[in-house]
Amino acid sequence: MEIFLQLLITGILVGSIYALVALGWTLIYKCSGVLNLAMGELTLIGAYVCLTFYHWGIPFVLALFFTLVIGFILGILTEIIFLRPMVGEPHLAVIMVTVGLAFFFKGLVMLIWGTDTVVFSPPVFPIQPVFLGKVVVGQVFLWAFVASIILLVAFVSFFKFTKWGLSMQATADDEMAALSLGVNAKVVYALAWAIAFMAAGVGGTLLGNINGLNISVGYLGLLVLPAVVLGGLNSIPGAIVGGLVIGILQNLADGYLSRFTPGGVKEVFPFAVMVIVLLFKPYGLWGWVRIERV
Amino acid sequence: MEQKTNGVILKLNNIEVMYHEVILVLKGVSIEVPQGGIVALLGANGAGKSTTLKSISGLLKHEDGEVTDGSIEFMGEKIHHLSAEEISKRGIFQIIEGRRVFGHLTVEENLRVGAHLRGTGSATKERLEMVYHYFPRLVERRNIMAGFISGGEQQMTVIGRAMMARPKLMLLDEPSMGLAPLLIKEIFEIIKKLNQEEKIPLLLVEQNVKLALTVAPYAYVLETGRLVMHDTSEKLKENPDIRDFYLGLSDIGEKKSFRHVKHYKRRKRWLT
Repeated sequence: MEIFLQLLITGILVGSIYALVALGWTLIYKCSGVLNLAMGELTLIGAYVCLTFYHWGIPFVLALFFTLVIGFILGILTEIIFLRPMVGEPHLAVIMVTVGLAFFFKGLVMLIWGTDTVVFSPPVFPIQPVFLGKVVVGQVFLWAFVASIILLVAFVSFFKFTKWGLSMQATADDEMAALSLGVNAKVVYALAWAIAFMAAGVGGTLLGNINGLNISVGYLGLLVLPAVVLGGLNSIPGAIVGGLVIGILQNLADGYLSRFTPGGVKEVFPFAVMVIVLLFKPYGLWGWVRIERV
Repeated sequence: MEQKTNGVILKLNNIEVMYHEVILVLKGVSIEVPQGGIVALLGANGAGKSTTLKSISGLLKHEDGEVTDGSIEFMGEKIHHLSAEEISKRGIFQIIEGRRVFGHLTVEENLRVGAHLRGTGSATKERLEMVYHYFPRLVERRNIMAGFISGGEQQMTVIGRAMMARPKLMLLDEPSMGLAPLLIKEIFEIIKKLNQEEKIPLLLVEQNVKLALTVAPYAYVLETGRLVMHDTSEKLKENPDIRDFYLGLSDIGEKKSFRHVKHYKRRKRWLT
């Protein structure tokens, strides 16, 4: 039982990071219909940018803030340079552009920061673990959870209460009707990419604090796919729940199944779940039922 | 500028519209909407009514259509080359056909998106009050997802949403589509009230010709992309062709024969 609780709580804490990145992914898909396969690389860039600021001696919170700002700018630039010319082109072509972006960003990261694993030094969060009842949790996990939740709340309130947030949701629902009210779809797309970049950057930074930072942090971008498939591709609450569930499943699989295998269950398990979800609920838990032909 | 417009707020001069650079849909359409008036645009399916509205609102460009000839003037300014966003900034709002609410937003959120271009806190609240005044039915629905309310309420939401934007000209595309007759009556009464009290000029596209001719004092008739007739509603109601083709009325007691069908065809050809 204790082991179960331990795994569950760690799963939720890590899952909150996935939820954050999944929210960014969903947003792009929802608003502009682009299936973004470069999400992992967006997390990489954010993480390295934050690390660089931190190593320049800027306090972590401030470094994280700068990462958000840079993420915002890069997001808008990416949309304008790479995605805008593709508006109205076939889905598959746009997906291939995001694949290209993934390689481009990965190459850029390797070019600038190299391929060795780097860690935030001195460590941002104290190493002593915290006891929640009988469960032991690293402080890194706890703070990562807090940061993710703060950002999730910030993004969700942005969608719910601000003019542009509402207009983004409106564009996702019915682009023509939104246009008829004077909403500029180009701004909406750019904002979606900006927010995705910001969310991914913070997600990557938090994960980098937990495991150290190298190219494989970009693997997070793939993990987002089972999370959003589970939640339904265009549901924001779905993405958040999906992220949490994937985090939990991953940890449970690691705890209970890894001793029967030579390893790697943790990596495979979320995708097995994704396939099962697709079999029985192709639109996920909260996705909009509509036919997509790619 | 103001004098030149002579109380005409919108003027279409002989416009020609093409889709995908090959398909000619409108051939020389000229329409005038007077300040504060209601003008109806009538015609069968595929006559180009919706296209006319879209060419005014600029939405045409998002369907790969283009005004290739003629001009559209709004308050004395040529607007046919502007983007949809620019045109809505000048105060023209189209209510596209088919009750296109934002289904995953609540009714009130739908209305607030309408105020997108006029977005300041207290003014938005005032506009909301105004919309709820005209559509009291929406008050109790304000926190329900717009996808789940009835068709009539969706139509009200969509009209209210455009009202939020302080329109200087509203283009209404078939507000009666798929609604029960009683609801249609209710909605048209509200539309008339909006026009009289808020002084918003309307260009109304409608398949329900009888209804359109009672609401609008002046009407244009389109057929396969051409303007074939325009007159006051009173005169159009008396016009034998309109009575025959659009109102389904002919002189009572007259026996129908094959000759009438041929006559219909001939008339039809003459019209187009």
